Amino acid sequence: MALISSWLGNTPEFAVPFALAALGLIITEKSGVLALGAEGLMLVGAVMGIGAYLSIENTPLALIAAMVSASVVSLLFALMVLVMRINQVISGLVLVFFCQGLSTWIGSQFGWVNRPVPGLSEFAVWGLADIPILGRVFIQNAVVYATPLIFLLSVWALYRTTAGLRLRAVGENPQAGDAAGIPVLGYRLAAIVIGAALIGLAGAFISVLSTKLWIANMTGGRGWIAVALVIFARWSPWKALAGALLFGCIEALIPQLAASGIKLSQYFVFMAPYLITLGVMIWVAVSKRDSSSQPGALGSPFIREERT
Amino acid sequence: MKHFAIRASMVLAGLIGLANVSFAEGFTLSEEPKIAMLYISPTNDGGWTQAFDEARQKLEDELDVSIQYVESVPETASAIRPAVARLIQRGANIIIGTAFGYSDTFAALAEEYPDVAFLNGSGTTNADNLLAFYGRTYESQYLCGMAAGAASPTGKLGFVAANPFGQVNWTINAYAMGAREMNPDATVTVVYTGAWNDPTKERAATQALIDQGADVIGQHVDTPTPQLVAQENGVYGTGHHRDFREFAPEATVCSSVWVWDRFLKDELEKIIAGNWEPNPYGALLSMEEGGTDIACCGPGVDAEEEAKIMAARELLLNGELDIYAGPLSDQNGNVIAAEGETVSDGDLWQMDWFVDGVITQQ
Repeated sequence: MALISSWLGNTPEFAVPFALAALGLIITEKSGVLALGAEGLMLVGAVMGIGAYLSIENTPLALIAAMVSASVVSLLFALMVLVMRINQVISGLVLVFFCQGLSTWIGSQFGWVNRPVPGLSEFAVWGLADIPILGRVFIQNAVVYATPLIFLLSVWALYRTTAGLRLRAVGENPQAGDAAGIPVLGYRLAAIVIGAALIGLAGAFISVLSTKLWIANMTGGRGWIAVALVIFARWSPWKALAGALLFGCIEALIPQLAASGIKLSQYFVFMAPYLITLGVMIWVAVSKRDSSSQPGALGSPFIREERT
Repeated sequence: MKHFAIRASMVLAGLIGLANVSFAEGFTLSEEPKIAMLYISPTNDGGWTQAFDEARQKLEDELDVSIQYVESVPETASAIRPAVARLIQRGANIIIGTAFGYSDTFAALAEEYPDVAFLNGSGTTNADNLLAFYGRTYESQYLCGMAAGAASPTGKLGFVAANPFGQVNWTINAYAMGAREMNPDATVTVVYTGAWNDPTKERAATQALIDQGADVIGQHVDTPTPQLVAQENGVYGTGHHRDFREFAPEATVCSSVWVWDRFLKDELEKIIAGNWEPNPYGALLSMEEGGTDIACCGPGVDAEEEAKIMAARELLLNGELDIYAGPLSDQNGNVIAAEGETVSDGDLWQMDWFVDGVITQQ
């Protein structure tokens, strides 16, 4: 029982970075820009969140600073894919390598390695926290509670506002959007910057709120898992949230199993999250051959004079 | 016939040459010593590399030399080679590396630069001018296990470890043996994170152990995360690499620390004196030889217990205690070492068995 209770209680903390990063990716990709750089932008968010906290000692402001930093770095990606029209796959990969170097350099230059921070205090939802077994799920920090709200707001903005409609239109068929007078590159730029802010928040969540310290390359491939999440969620924010919870569940379960001494090969356990990624992807591919949910113009640059 | 004679004499000359080499004296520097160090991480990493940098500063004082260093050199030949070549160009003739992943490149470099002495911490390759060195971390971790056993009210200890292989398993077994020295019923539950440097997994592992009742958390991973989580939860812990009271003063009851300067001072003096003969199997340093020690004791350990731990430390420092001396059997009852025997270094490196009291998934 203790195992199940603390497993469930720890799940949201692992799920949130996946969820926020996946949501950021979905917003960017809905505009037709293939964003593989999540791992890099998370690293930027992680290092700048810690750096900002160590400088100003205010956790909310540190999280905002991390979001702004990731957005600023994403302008470089925007320059590459929107203005210079460099291949989006290559640009995304370059962004990851660039951010790995940049975040490591900044963090060690300023001596932010292994400097503990307090994070945000956890508080209980009145009444719910007393439920047996399930209760611990409702003792979390403010950002965990904010995550479903961020999802609600994003879904509303994407599907219920004119701006959201235009953003999706630009991702489906930029030529048509352009003919209708929508500034294609403007919307794509906005989608990249807003998406990067969420991905930066995901990174800062890992360093400032969850781990409470920073070391080089600490996101450990979680940005790549977010990229995979988006694909198997078929660009649907709610499915991505469900996927993030599934991954959070697995990541939280691994140490619980080990700590309870249950005999299960360590190497199998390390492999499990990726095995499940693979499994879910195969299941999605087999269950419905639905390629229509992918933004129509994903990955192709917009050139006004060009007919496709 | 004439050609044959020439060839034969060449072969003979070659043989004599070979014989000369193998009967040659040990390694001697041809110029004034100039020492340089190569770090895998930044000097302020709080752990492994910082311990080397602290040793460097002590050595500078004790040997009255200046020691240059290059930090954040990754474990790839394309990064190591140019860094070492530049140091040698600037006159360095004693190069000290600090990473397992430098081993192969250092072996190649030692052959390329026979006039330069190479040392490599946690390395695996050795040559006439290359010595790999590492500490018998099980000795200091045995002492920290004693502190953990003393500090734990329940006897349920947790241990956050990197990967299940010899060098990690020997600390776990020693930790459990140390803990049982103070509390015969103590158990050590181990969570391997699969990484040396993943504070997210370390936090999850530590939290899981505490959730399931562990009240002292040992560690053999690189970041101080387990100690931080222990402190947040109001339980105790023991650190690794450096004195982690720096990070978690209320939680850390003992830390296994590196004291490389004690070993390197002697070794560098031997190199400088000339006729240096590095051990062809590398130097696996006991506490007596320098390498590791403990920073002990923090809260939770009373004066009587501390005296017992310090007495064991004294025995180890004098080389009078062998943790892996028989009689010793694993938890399935298989005899590992009989009375009077001791586990060989080769078997230590391959350790895949656990003593009574250790709980793992293996």
